[in-house]
Amino acid sequence: MNDSWIQSNFPILNKRKNIEEFVYFDNACTTLRPKSVIDAMNKYYEEYPVCGGRSLHKLGKKVTDKVYETRFLVSQLIDARKEEIVFTRNTTESINSVAHSIDWREGDVVITSDKEHNSNLLPWIRLSKKIGIVHTTIKSNSDGYPDLTHLKDLLEKYKGRVRLIAVTLSSNLDGTTNPVAEIAKLGHKYGALILVDAAQGLPHQPVSVKRLGADFLAFSGHKMLGPSGTGVLYGKKKLLEEFEPFLIGGGTVVKSSFDSYCLENIPERFEAGLQDYAGIIGLGEAIRFIQKVTYKEIARRDLELNKYITSYLRSIERVNIVGAKEPEKRGGIVSFCVDGVDPHMIALMLDEAGIMVRSGQLCVHSWFSDKKIQGVVRISTYFYNTLEEAEYFAKTLSNILKAV
Amino acid sequence: MACIIALIVFSVMGLFSATHRQLAKEAFDCVFRRVTFRPCNTGFKEKIRGRIVGKLLRRSVKLAKFSNKYFEVFAWIFFLLTVVSTGYTVKGGYNFYRYGSCNGLNQGGFCAFDPTGKNNTTSSVTDGSCPNKQPTAEDLTLSSVDLGLFQSKKVDSENNLVFIGCYSCDYTRKAYPVVKKLLEKKNVNYTFIHFSVKDENENLPLYVYSASKIDQNKYWRLNDLLFEADKGDMQSQEKIEQIITKAGYDLQAIKDEANKEATKQAVQKQIEEVRKTHIYGTPTVFINGKPIVGPKPYRVYKLMLK
Repeated sequence: MNDSWIQSNFPILNKRKNIEEFVYFDNACTTLRPKSVIDAMNKYYEEYPVCGGRSLHKLGKKVTDKVYETRFLVSQLIDARKEEIVFTRNTTESINSVAHSIDWREGDVVITSDKEHNSNLLPWIRLSKKIGIVHTTIKSNSDGYPDLTHLKDLLEKYKGRVRLIAVTLSSNLDGTTNPVAEIAKLGHKYGALILVDAAQGLPHQPVSVKRLGADFLAFSGHKMLGPSGTGVLYGKKKLLEEFEPFLIGGGTVVKSSFDSYCLENIPERFEAGLQDYAGIIGLGEAIRFIQKVTYKEIARRDLELNKYITSYLRSIERVNIVGAKEPEKRGGIVSFCVDGVDPHMIALMLDEAGIMVRSGQLCVHSWFSDKKIQGVVRISTYFYNTLEEAEYFAKTLSNILKAV
Repeated sequence: MACIIALIVFSVMGLFSATHRQLAKEAFDCVFRRVTFRPCNTGFKEKIRGRIVGKLLRRSVKLAKFSNKYFEVFAWIFFLLTVVSTGYTVKGGYNFYRYGSCNGLNQGGFCAFDPTGKNNTTSSVTDGSCPNKQPTAEDLTLSSVDLGLFQSKKVDSENNLVFIGCYSCDYTRKAYPVVKKLLEKKNVNYTFIHFSVKDENENLPLYVYSASKIDQNKYWRLNDLLFEADKGDMQSQEKIEQIITKAGYDLQAIKDEANKEATKQAVQKQIEEVRKTHIYGTPTVFINGKPIVGPKPYRVYKLMLK
C-alpha cells in the first residue's frame, strides 16, 4: 500500500490538488469513503434496488445474497457467528437496543468507564431514572486506563446485582484502548454481561469477540470507511435468542394473527422494517477494503503519525496532551489543549488553513465536567493520512500559537 | 463586544440566509447572557475570533497576532462605528422621508434610497452665466419679491405655495402634477411663476403674461395645457398658438396684448423679480417661505404644510 494507491481509491483525496486545500484529521467522527464503497452503493440503486429477505424474485434474491455476504464478512471480522450479527443504524442504536432488551429490575447495576461517549452513558442514566437501576463508573488511572482494582471493588460492592459492564474498546477522547479482556474476565466472574463499544476500536485494530470475552459488541460503519447510517450489534447467540427485541414489525416475525405473533430467528428478529440495503452492501465493501489495507498497515500508519504529532506537541510548553503519554497507546488519536486558548478557536484557525479537526468535549461531557476542563482539540488520523499532512499541521499550529 | 457586532451583522445577513440566521441566534444568546450579567458560554466569540484570526494567519502571522491581541479593541471600534453609522442611517432615512434626500432639505450627495438623485435634480438657471458666487439653498428667499406681479389663486389658507418652474424643463414637468395633486387635496394659496430656463419661443412669456391679464380663469387651464403638451412644442410659435386657442383664448387678442410695450416691460420686471429669489434651478417651490429645490415626492410637499 502506498500513498498514491490510497489517493486513487478515495475520490475526495483524488480531487485534492495539494494538502493546503484540505487535510482531514477528523476520522474519529467519521472516515472518508473509498470509491469501491460508493460504487457498491450506487450499483444497488442502479441495478437491483429492491427488498431483500422477503421477495422471491431474482433481484430480491440478489439483495438477500449481498446482505448475507456482508453479514458473513462482519462475522469473520469480529470472529463471531453470522447469526450473531444484527444490522443497526449505528453504535448508538446498537447500545440502545441492548439497553431496551434486557429485563431490568430495580437495583440492577450497570458499570461503565468514566470516559464513555454519550452513546454508552445516556441509555444507562435514563434507565436509572426510569427503572431505578444503579449506574456507576470505574475511575481512570492517571494514564487514562480504567482502574481495575476499583472495578473489582465495585463488583464486590454490588455483588450479585451487576447485570452489565459497558465499556468502550478505544476511547474517542484520548484513543486509549481499554483492557477489555481483563474487564470481561472479571465481570464474568461476578455474573455480569459485557457490552463493548467498538466504534473507535474496530476501525484501527483487529477484534475478536471471543478473545475479548464480549457478550455484546457495537460499532458503526461510517467510522471504518462504510456508509453513514450503518452499524452493527453483535450479541451472543444465546443472549439474542433470550432477548425481546426492542423494535418489532416488518421482517421480525414468522407469522402473526390478530392477537399473537411468532418471532423470526435471530438475527432477523432484531432487524425491524426495511433495511438500509445499500448501506449494508457498502459496509461489506468497506470491510473488504480494510482487509486489503490490513490492520497491520493501519496500525503502522497510526503509530507513525501519532509519534510525529505527539513529539511535536510535546515540544510546545503551552500544550497538554490528554491521556497516555506514549503514542503507541493512543491509536490514531491525539487530543490536546493549549493553556488559555479556547479549543474551538484553534480548530477554527486550523480549518482556515484547511485542516479539519474536532474540538470541544467530543460527546464525553461527563468526563470534562468532572475534570473541569473546557474542551480539547482532537486530531484523529487514519491510514490515508500522511506524514506530509502531519508536518503541515505542525507548521500551521506553530503559526497559530505565535498569533494567540 | 464582538457578539454585539456579530448580532447586528448576522441579523441583517440573516434576512437573506438561514445559515446567518443561526449565527445571529447564537450571537443573540451570547449578548443576552452578557446583558443579564452571565458569562457568554456559547463559545460564539471564540468562533468569530478563530475565523477572523485564522483568515489573517494565512496572510501574515504578525497581522494575525496583532489582531488577536487587540481583538476586543477592534470590536469596540467596530461597535462604535456601527452605532455611529446606524445613527446616520436612521437620520438619512428620516431625511429621505421628510425631505426626499438622505442629507437633508435641498442637500445633494449620495442617498441610498435615491441613488440616482432624481429628487434633487433641477434644470440649472445659471448655465452659461458666470455669477461671482454660486447661489445655494441658503440664499433662496421670497422676502423682497413682489409676488403681486404673478398670477395667484387665493383660497384664504394659512399655507402659501409659490412654484417657480419652466414649461419645457423636465424636472418642472415632473413636479407640476405632484404640486397640482397637493393643491387639489389641500387648501393652499398658490402662485405660479414661469421662469424660462431652456430654449423656449421668445413670445411664450409674453403670451402667458397677456393670457393672465386678459382672462385669469382661462389662464390656469392654459397653464395645465402647456405642461401637458410635448416640451418641444414650447419652441414652436405655431404649437403655442394652438394651445392658447385650445385654452379658449382669442389668439389675436393675446397677440395684440403681447405686442404692447407695457407687456414687455411687465415680463422683464417679472424676470428681474424672480432673480431676487436667487433661484439656481427649476423647479423651486416655496412652501410658507421655505424653499424646496427639485421634484420631490408628494409626502415631502405635504409635510411642509402647516
